[in-house]
Amino acid sequence: MTGAGQAGAPRPLAGQPRPAGGVAPGGMPRLVACFDTQCRVIGALLLRELSTRFGRENVGFLWLFVEPALLGGTIGLMHHFSGHGLPGGIDIMSFWVLGYIPYYLFRAVVNRAPSAIVSNQSLLFHRRITILDIMISRNLLEGGAVLGAMAVFVLALGAVTGVWPEQPAKLVAGMALMLGFAHGLSLLIAAGSVYTDMFERLTHLVTYLTLPILGSFFMVFWLPTELQQIVLWIPTVHCFELVRDGQFGSMVPTHYDIPYALTCIALLNLFGLAALRKARRDVVL
Amino acid sequence: MIRLHGLGKAYKVHGRMRPVFTGIDAVFRPGEAVGILGRNGAGKTTLLRLIAGVEHPTSGWIERSMSVSWPLGFAGAMHYSISGADNARFIARIYGKPLAETVDFVDEFAELGEYYRMPAKTYSAGMLMRLGFALSMAVDFDCYLVDEVVAAGDARFADRCRAALEERRGRSTILFVSHVPHLLRQFCTSGAVLQDGRLTRYDDLDQAIEAYGAH
Repeated sequence: MTGAGQAGAPRPLAGQPRPAGGVAPGGMPRLVACFDTQCRVIGALLLRELSTRFGRENVGFLWLFVEPALLGGTIGLMHHFSGHGLPGGIDIMSFWVLGYIPYYLFRAVVNRAPSAIVSNQSLLFHRRITILDIMISRNLLEGGAVLGAMAVFVLALGAVTGVWPEQPAKLVAGMALMLGFAHGLSLLIAAGSVYTDMFERLTHLVTYLTLPILGSFFMVFWLPTELQQIVLWIPTVHCFELVRDGQFGSMVPTHYDIPYALTCIALLNLFGLAALRKARRDVVL
Repeated sequence: MIRLHGLGKAYKVHGRMRPVFTGIDAVFRPGEAVGILGRNGAGKTTLLRLIAGVEHPTSGWIERSMSVSWPLGFAGAMHYSISGADNARFIARIYGKPLAETVDFVDEFAELGEYYRMPAKTYSAGMLMRLGFALSMAVDFDCYLVDEVVAAGDARFADRCRAALEERRGRSTILFVSHVPHLLRQFCTSGAVLQDGRLTRYDDLDQAIEAYGAH
């Protein structure tokens, strides 16, 4: 290797003896140099995604606000006219909007995964751009955008109802867990899309069909004890409950287990990374 | 230096793995300009893609101790929904080059005129080729992998490519694949023939052309 910043430095190929740790001739430790390259690549990809997805001629970002508002507003109105509220007396509109936003993030990340490689394959001509870099930049952007929308809704709901989040950090943590879970799943789906077109068709269907069990529109304490034990196996349920704890706090009981959610996320991401590694070798560009 | 160790690549055709080539060993040193001859379907483009790291080998491995360009040809390496100038900025960020200088350099080299600020998907094949070549020159690699289509551009741009590669001769390695011998004479000093899944090196380009013609 002749220099830390060169294209040849990181990422050896399959079967290639890996350069042992140590210092590249540029003076930077090799791991730091790789990290530096990866950050630069993800930064550049983020900027590019930003301009193509949320650019001047694109109103896609508007939908981020319209959809949760429409859903929360409609259901809130229905509850208002039917006359019965939610257990714990929490605000109906807040419950539906805050349940929908993390789901929106989940759905956006998962549904965009099958096209991630196809729509960026020309960029894989650059050896220093990996599929993982592409996935990270796309999903970070999605996470940032949805988190922004969430902040706007929380402020608006606070202004209307007078109820402010008890622990805003838990809202962010819940969204971060959801992003981590969706990210791991998106790695597996992106890797699978190299082998079959099936995912393109399936993800939309599955994200809608699983909506009732993901945890966005029910709270764990509403359920009988045995059912509670079952739904707590679903990792996303913990994300929604954490978000609700942040918003409603002591008003309602919430059930979540952060170590369990983190373990699921870690495992999913690990499998996702392994699948991507195999897929990168088999993808024909 | 680039060293190929028992390099092999196979693709799945009708459910069966069909090898393009197997067990290629070769060394390409700094300052060499190697013309690789092969007929259509011999695996020239596949070989360039493997050396560039765009695709991964089925067997064997590649040792690179120099920076290697992406394969320069019709396709790849840029994003088509953004403009040529935005592509230049993107490349500059990826490879850690100064933004403004890279944008100016590519503008001057590719000569795209007002199209430089238009999305790349509106470009003709020739314009895409010019943009791709200019982008790779802006990064300044140690080794350039060139597909013959680059030289198939108009005479003015072909001269420009030749001048740019000539200027790098001595410090850069150039691997140029083609099935047209006379194109290689303009760019290369030594040769190789890719045929029946084997790569044979010749120190002299004329020998390679002779061997290629004999088949």
